[in-house]
Amino acid sequence: MKHDDVTCKKLILDCLLEFEDGTMTVEEHRELQMHFEACPPCMNFLTTYRATGKTLRMLKPTDIPPALAQTVTAFVRARREKEKG
Amino acid sequence: MVDDVATDIDLVRRIKAGDDRAFEEMVRRYNARVYSLAYGVLRNAQDAEEATQDAFLTLYRKIGTFDESRKFFSWFYRVALNSAYSRARRRPSLPTVAIEDHLPKFSADGHFAADVPDWSVGVEDEVAARELAARAGEFIAELPPAYRDVIWMNDVEEMTASEIAGTLEISIPAFKSRLHRARLHVRQRLSEISNPPARAEAAV
Repeated sequence: MKHDDVTCKKLILDCLLEFEDGTMTVEEHRELQMHFEACPPCMNFLTTYRATGKTLRMLKPTDIPPALAQTVTAFVRARREKEKG
Repeated sequence: MVDDVATDIDLVRRIKAGDDRAFEEMVRRYNARVYSLAYGVLRNAQDAEEATQDAFLTLYRKIGTFDESRKFFSWFYRVALNSAYSRARRRPSLPTVAIEDHLPKFSADGHFAADVPDWSVGVEDEVAARELAARAGEFIAELPPAYRDVIWMNDVEEMTASEIAGTLEISIPAFKSRLHRARLHVRQRLSEISNPPARAEAAV
């Protein structure tokens, strides 16, 4: 596969995930890297695809409610007691 | 055995035998991850907390049906996901969009049909990045569930491909395909709301 055989459409829709996740062979990766370097729209796409990932990692809730474990344990225990009657 | 070095399967066996301390250890071990997953589905702290309680109650009630040849974590994550969805179904549902609606557009010769602005500089600024992240959360929420779960577990929770495929009972290729399409969707939506420097200059 030569980089000039790869259309932007194929690169973005079919190859980008594996280009990023490290499952591609070194040769394939190099060919696609050449396309990115020669093609400003694809390079901008790659940059913003990576920025999307970086943005999403900020969404992970960092403020877990205090004493959540105790709340959960107490809730389950209360339900068990109730069911036992 | 010291609880915090017990394997998940050790704890499962002890819970099945009625050991309360093993259950407490399981709660300690997984409450934050279950809460985080529930928060992703529900986007609300109180609902997420209640879904977390539901998930552990189900764990306690259904542990007897858990097949020990499977990975505990995959089984329990699915329990947690179901608890979150069951709570989500009680609320008025948000509109979802079709996955095809916000994908990049190409011309017949395979080139981009429109400019591709680079808005990534916006992510360098902490405040702007937090705003973008909040919008990105909305763009995930509007996805069909099959895509929403995959991108949340992968890009927010940073679970591994095999954990996600195992939890959702899908193949690795299906996982990859959904993840990529979901990312394309969120990227495209972030592009639509970002104000790229090139356009700002043109407006002067």
